[in-house]
Amino acid sequence: MSSTTAQSGLARARRGLAPGGSGGRPRNEDLNRKSKLSGQTTRTFFWLLLPSIVLVILINGYPLIYAAVQATHDGSLIDTGNFVGLDNFTSVLTSPAFWKAAQFTLLFTIVGVFGSWGVGLGLALLLRTKIPAGGAFKVLLLLPWVVPIVVSSTAWNWLVATPDSLIPSIFRNLGLGTPLFLADPHLAAVMVMVFKVWVSFPFMMMMTSAALASVDTTVYEAASMDGATKWQQFTQITLPMIARSTYISWILMTIFCVNDFPTIYLLTGGGPVDATTSLVVLAYRSVFQDFQTGHGVAIAFLMTLTLVIVSVFLYRQIRKSSVE
Amino acid sequence: MSAVLHAHPESGPSLGVADSGKSRRVLSEAGMRGRWWRFVLILAITAIVLVPIMVTVILALTPGPGSTATGLTLENITGVFSKTLAATWLGNSLITTLSTVVVSVAVAAPAGYVLSRGRSKAVSGYSLLLFVMQSLPIITSVVPLFILFANMGLVDNLLGLTIIYVGSTMTVATWMMAAYFDSIPISLEEASWIDGCSVFGSFTKVVLRNSLPGILSTAIFAFLLAWNDYLVAIVFLRSDEIFTLPVGVQSFFQQNLTDWSGVMALAVVMMLPPIIVFATLNRYFSVGGIGGSLAGR
Repeated sequence: MSSTTAQSGLARARRGLAPGGSGGRPRNEDLNRKSKLSGQTTRTFFWLLLPSIVLVILINGYPLIYAAVQATHDGSLIDTGNFVGLDNFTSVLTSPAFWKAAQFTLLFTIVGVFGSWGVGLGLALLLRTKIPAGGAFKVLLLLPWVVPIVVSSTAWNWLVATPDSLIPSIFRNLGLGTPLFLADPHLAAVMVMVFKVWVSFPFMMMMTSAALASVDTTVYEAASMDGATKWQQFTQITLPMIARSTYISWILMTIFCVNDFPTIYLLTGGGPVDATTSLVVLAYRSVFQDFQTGHGVAIAFLMTLTLVIVSVFLYRQIRKSSVE
Repeated sequence: MSAVLHAHPESGPSLGVADSGKSRRVLSEAGMRGRWWRFVLILAITAIVLVPIMVTVILALTPGPGSTATGLTLENITGVFSKTLAATWLGNSLITTLSTVVVSVAVAAPAGYVLSRGRSKAVSGYSLLLFVMQSLPIITSVVPLFILFANMGLVDNLLGLTIIYVGSTMTVATWMMAAYFDSIPISLEEASWIDGCSVFGSFTKVVLRNSLPGILSTAIFAFLLAWNDYLVAIVFLRSDEIFTLPVGVQSFFQQNLTDWSGVMALAVVMMLPPIIVFATLNRYFSVGGIGGSLAGR
């Protein structure tokens, strides 16, 4: 049977694949053998992919094109409105609110990515050592990520929102004044970022733990025999060994932070006085509160363009780093 | 590591080697001390980290103002079920989330198989497309989809919500499935091909049958995403009886800003299902696969 020979050709091409399948695959060889795939296999692949393709077109493709139409019209949610060319974009790009939100988004993302990475890495390293009930802590520490944001933001609100909340009361009793965590613009911005790190560090901890598990521990014994200090071992063995996974986790977290809505919106609503308004919150408000659909979609569209460019670039970088 | 050495300090008659036994005990004491210090440290960190969650549970179980109960009580929780549509919201959330999980896995598993086994330009192009789509802000799709779904009667409708959830969980679900399939040796499939099995046959009979951990991991991910979503739900759901829990909790919170025992009781109802799912299935859950899968293709 011709399909059988084709399948064993496919099998040969795929042989030598390491379990876990991360990186180091014989890609070029695989591509060269592509011609050996029979039409039948290709057809099976197509049918297997079809549901996914339909969903991508419906949920991502179509809306993206429609968003381009909306961004160039002055309509509302009900009415498409008139074509206004790039007016929405010029008004967005010249509004101070947009640049303020862009600035906050950037800061929020930087703190979110590196804050959660630092905490996650530290805990992953600590949990890698022998600790009584270590497994239980590993699960308990994932809770901030598992618990819905709607729930945790409510709890954070209870803890900090008013001058009589628990944490401001503790500050007052310690003689440190009564910080208005959500009413002071600077403190509110800090609070949102702390909340984001609290929500996200378990994800980073899981990513790092998975990467650390694959590091061969005999390397450390050899290094300590050569007189390497713990810090040297950390910077010169551990970090390079988990570099690729770290890089990927930064990329994913950057995307999560830029696109984040509930963490900010549920804690502060974007306030006080827009101090914590990110681009997504600004876009949401323009569309659903100010009913300026074109304006809001234009903001989302600018974010989309930036993210497409950045993500294609980063995707190439990941692949390049995994070929090495 | 010294921790290995102290495993059974008392076991075996070590009388003949008194010296080495002594040094062994010294090492193990230092190791033990380090272990307990780290235990105290991680205990303190965990306690601080979990404050917001503990506060939620404690407030939900503490009798509210005007209550005659003493000690811990479940009356707040039974209370929210009688004075709000909590039961309906819980049902809506469960239906939406479970449908999302099933459909998402059903779509992602075959797609993940193609991404794992296929090596053509088209397949890697599709993988890039998924990565780009994943990185786009959902707010960009939400507005056009709102208009499209309004015309199709899918706004304020759990089916409409489920379709969007499946679309937004699918990309990561596909990577997770692909990463798991990568770990299943092709030789298993080869054997079935020699027996005359088709590619589709080997996918369902050989690969899927050996992929329960991968499927569970993907299912947990889809569950968390759908259960926790707020943005899509707040845009697409309008009437009380169609709310899912995130919108329900939020609307109750905004209408009863000072009724903390009620708010927290509802919050506990909302956080229990994901915690139960995670507590029972967490050993199957691995996000490490996302990275491996991304880098692998």
